Amino acid sequence: MTLDKLLSFDWGMMAPEFSIVITAILLSLIDLFMPNKVSRKPLALLGLAGIIVAIVFAVLQVGDPVGSILFDTYRFDSFALAFKLLFLVATAMIFLLALDFEGESKWAYRGEFYYLLMTALLGAMMMASSADLITLFVGLELLSISSYILAGIRKRNFHSNEAAFKYVVNGGIATAITLFGMSYIYGLTGQTNLYAISEMLVDPRVQENSFLVIMAFVMMFVGLSFKISAAPFHMWAPDVYQGSPTPVTTFLSVVSKMAGFTLILRLFFVIFLGTQGWHNQILLDAQPFIAFVAGATMVIGNVVALRQRNIKRMFAYSSIAHAGYVLVPFVSLSLIVFKTTWFYLLAYLLMNIGAFAVIQFVTSREKSEDFTAFSGLNKRAPLTAFMMAIFIISLAGLPFTAGFIGKFGIFMSSLGTGHYILASVMIATTVVSYVYYFNVMVQIYFRKGAGNRIRPTAGLAVVMVICTIGTLLFGIYPSLALDFFQSGFDINDLFTPSE
Amino acid sequence: MSSVPLSVYLVLALILFCIGLFGALTKRNAVIVLISIELMLNAVNINLVAFAKYGINPGITGQIFSLFTITVAAAEAAVGLAILIALYRNRKTVNVDEMDIMKH
Repeated sequence: MTLDKLLSFDWGMMAPEFSIVITAILLSLIDLFMPNKVSRKPLALLGLAGIIVAIVFAVLQVGDPVGSILFDTYRFDSFALAFKLLFLVATAMIFLLALDFEGESKWAYRGEFYYLLMTALLGAMMMASSADLITLFVGLELLSISSYILAGIRKRNFHSNEAAFKYVVNGGIATAITLFGMSYIYGLTGQTNLYAISEMLVDPRVQENSFLVIMAFVMMFVGLSFKISAAPFHMWAPDVYQGSPTPVTTFLSVVSKMAGFTLILRLFFVIFLGTQGWHNQILLDAQPFIAFVAGATMVIGNVVALRQRNIKRMFAYSSIAHAGYVLVPFVSLSLIVFKTTWFYLLAYLLMNIGAFAVIQFVTSREKSEDFTAFSGLNKRAPLTAFMMAIFIISLAGLPFTAGFIGKFGIFMSSLGTGHYILASVMIATTVVSYVYYFNVMVQIYFRKGAGNRIRPTAGLAVVMVICTIGTLLFGIYPSLALDFFQSGFDINDLFTPSE
Repeated sequence: MSSVPLSVYLVLALILFCIGLFGALTKRNAVIVLISIELMLNAVNINLVAFAKYGINPGITGQIFSLFTITVAAAEAAVGLAILIALYRNRKTVNVDEMDIMKH
């Protein structure tokens, strides 16, 4: 490839990605040249600035026509942009959480945490934008490998070590399974571009080997289910979430999970629904099985959460349960699957990051991760307690919060397409989830706790306030977000190959 | 030219993948677990290269894909071993059965 060809691409489209890459490089260089005994906390602010620049570039792209660079391997469509915005906003808030986080003794002098978060974010953005198996895989691994290190970043902490090792082993197995599926898809079609694959699958010679296509579908789905921690592939999640530093737990439960859903939606929709043909049937035939996975995820997540005493572990199971809810629109395959998924992920982002901000605040002040650390929080920090109550109400899916609107949308989409069993499982498990969510509420408001008044640092307070406002605003005026999504993003261009 | 049919390569890859998966799920030594994961990833490479040469639509893309797979697998192995060393320094064990301090 000549230089002229390389320069002829419209690199301007990649502006959000470039701002992330440049910030990551800058952060690593500054970290290198900083004196040993100087706190690295200001790096978080620089990282935050880089993400805000990326958000601005991304918002300016809203409404742009579909574009692609590097021979169609990297696509810019509404689908990618809508999810990229979520990743960017979530990571910006996680940087604020990281500002407050205090790890082991030399924590403040360690800069790698910040640029690894940046590379992980970049991987997630690549997953949203790729239209080629190779770039999809590289993006997935960029996110995964960065998160392995992030999970184990407290290298003298036993829990953190163990979490990181479990994550590497589980993530490695999941990657290998996904790749094995991808290799069959490549082998049958001879293509790695998703759109070309979809067209080639119609070929009668491929149909003769349809069992291989089905095997590839199953393997890719199993591999990616690890990523979103859907049952029965959720076993790693509680340990990893508990052992990781809280900002990393937040990142894993929000950004990493959203990236997994983005990848699943793009991969399966484009390959199996992009072109009319016999292979469309595979996704429809798989519906009962995916429905089973979704149902099992909801049941296991919510029921096992009941007996957790460690608050991070409890919220790990809660996030498993939420993965089950988000799989429901993927099962029902209604016309509004993208809208409901996107809105639910937005609500999930706000309430989960908010809840983890409060968890980080309480567990670090109390030096305990037991859920009784929350006892009497109402007396010690009334405003924080109130905000935690809102996040919990939203996670439980009660009215006037974004979580309710999101869950209602998912529920209606499953009812509208006749998945009554799945809808009733959803309602039943939601009721079960009230028990453990309101256990925390009881601790906050009705138990007596010792200790003086505590107040959050500025970074934490900003995150909590933003999440509270977002949760209430989108709960009372959901049309704000839905109209933005409707008018800014024409999701059908997911299926139109760019010229 | 070679008369080895495509299916032989595919069966070899499948066997290698299954051995890797079995090892990763049952072995107690953490180093063996990491090696088993490498076996699974190498099974993918055999698949890709075999399809690139003898597939329905042969082409160079499969070999390019396998180059990426090899690189990423190396990075993953490096990170995995680094984490294992950090764990070993603290716990003085590489036995997977003993990594259970977070049981509830």
